[in-house]
Amino acid sequence: MSPPPFEINADGVDTAALVAEIQAAVDARMAAGEYADARIARAERMNLLHGARGGAAVAAYIRCLRDAVEVDISDFEIRERRARLAPVLVRIKRLIWNLLKFYTYRLWSQQNQVNGMLAAGLEGLEEQTSVRLRRLEERVAEMERRLGGGGEGPRPGGG
Amino acid sequence: MGAAHAIAVVAPRHAVGPAIGGAETLLRALALRLAAAGRKVRLLTTCATDHVSWENVRTPGVVRDGPLEVEHFPVAPRDAARFHEIQREISRGARLPRELEEQWLANGVRSPALCEHLRAGGYDRVLAGPYLFGLTVEVARAVPDRLLLVPCLHDEPFAYTAPIREMFATVRGCLFNSGPEQELAERLYALERRRGRVVGMGIEPFETDPSAFAARRGLEAPFLLYSGRREAGKGTPLLIEYVRTFRERVGRDVRLVLTGSGPVDPAPFVLDLGVVEEQVKREAMAAATVFAHPSCLESLGIVVLESFMARTPALVNAGSEVLRWQCARSGGGLWFRHYPDFEACLERLLADEPLRRRLGAHGRRYVEMEYSWTAVERRLWEALEAL
Repeated sequence: MSPPPFEINADGVDTAALVAEIQAAVDARMAAGEYADARIARAERMNLLHGARGGAAVAAYIRCLRDAVEVDISDFEIRERRARLAPVLVRIKRLIWNLLKFYTYRLWSQQNQVNGMLAAGLEGLEEQTSVRLRRLEERVAEMERRLGGGGEGPRPGGG
Repeated sequence: MGAAHAIAVVAPRHAVGPAIGGAETLLRALALRLAAAGRKVRLLTTCATDHVSWENVRTPGVVRDGPLEVEHFPVAPRDAARFHEIQREISRGARLPRELEEQWLANGVRSPALCEHLRAGGYDRVLAGPYLFGLTVEVARAVPDRLLLVPCLHDEPFAYTAPIREMFATVRGCLFNSGPEQELAERLYALERRRGRVVGMGIEPFETDPSAFAARRGLEAPFLLYSGRREAGKGTPLLIEYVRTFRERVGRDVRLVLTGSGPVDPAPFVLDLGVVEEQVKREAMAAATVFAHPSCLESLGIVVLESFMARTPALVNAGSEVLRWQCARSGGGLWFRHYPDFEACLERLLADEPLRRRLGAHGRRYVEMEYSWTAVERRLWEALEAL
């Protein structure tokens, strides 16, 4: 990057330092599992397609995904908003839930297996790709060093 | 005045009205400044007004735009379906044979009549952009020794095609919008530093009442603002998802206000104003808690600079080297790598009003110093002398 022609005064904010401080705190919280959240995985999928190309977004996404793969198959509290008919409707819903349990449990168990395999597969692919890219970058850097720098940059997407 | 006595500025469309792209706005603004400074300049453009159909709507011929002469030329017939088919392949990162890349350009927006005029027009210098238009490549092939390319370059698959590489290799020079854009061109095309200059675009100073917008719209909650084209490439779906997730996780009522063209998925926390007058946009910028820019593909970030002028701090995608550069250089904004960063930065900005005020003040001072028209004109005159 070019050197800044614009000097930040004492009353100003060193945004690079502030962002570095925020990122360090985020990285620590991430390592502690604070952001392993399916909602973040949902939001982050857009960043994978059109946003940051660096490894940070992909790694964060996979961590969130790992947390989100298990469908919750445990019993839950059945409620009814229509107050007048609530006792009857709740009983009917409980009956339906109990009748279908054997089927839905089987379904969700299989879904959890598939989700788990997909997430593990993605994780493996990401690791493999990272290693391969790192090796390729090292080779390109070495070739550039031998040729005296410059040359064409890589094509996007590693192609 | 150097060698540039007669100058042509070439843009795909004449940027009048609020729904025009940043590159066309930039080229028109530069042409207007050149004309106002007494240079012999003409803006050459197509008869099209719509960036999807590229239908010839305006009448070919010369019209006036203030001190500037504008000449319209017809867009050549094209196979739009073929163009989009190849464009999709390129944007997937596929390496296509040269023949297909040429077909992509040939079925893009071109104007042989405009190029013929340029060859015969006796212009000393031609400014044209943005880089990925068939029209720009055609102009570069017609008058390479006179062309100062205004590329508005992004790190995207189109930048890696053979015709684009050749264009950068053959033109007289380049006028960049920012340091990172110039560095990208140097990296991709081994462009020598002496063949480029960073010029940019001036931002008019303005003062607005920060409370006017929120009062008129009945907005009591803090809000983030994004202005510009709304599309996946600009990151608007990402921003909507991030704000939705922030509201769910943090439990704060934060709204998102959008202005500009393009479709938006409706959400209860999103206020979509569509294309608005300049004054309304400025009021929204002054009223916003934070101006959010989620795009990775920027060469200048005009709306971020405008939000700085409104004394509003920015929160930008770290994937854009240009936006990060603007925020770091100015001390006017923060940047995020992914959602967790976004959440932490936004929480900090929402909680710390003095920080927001200081960021906003520095953003404003930066734009006044670096992007005043006086500063930009100085850089433009110097570039025209040197290149």
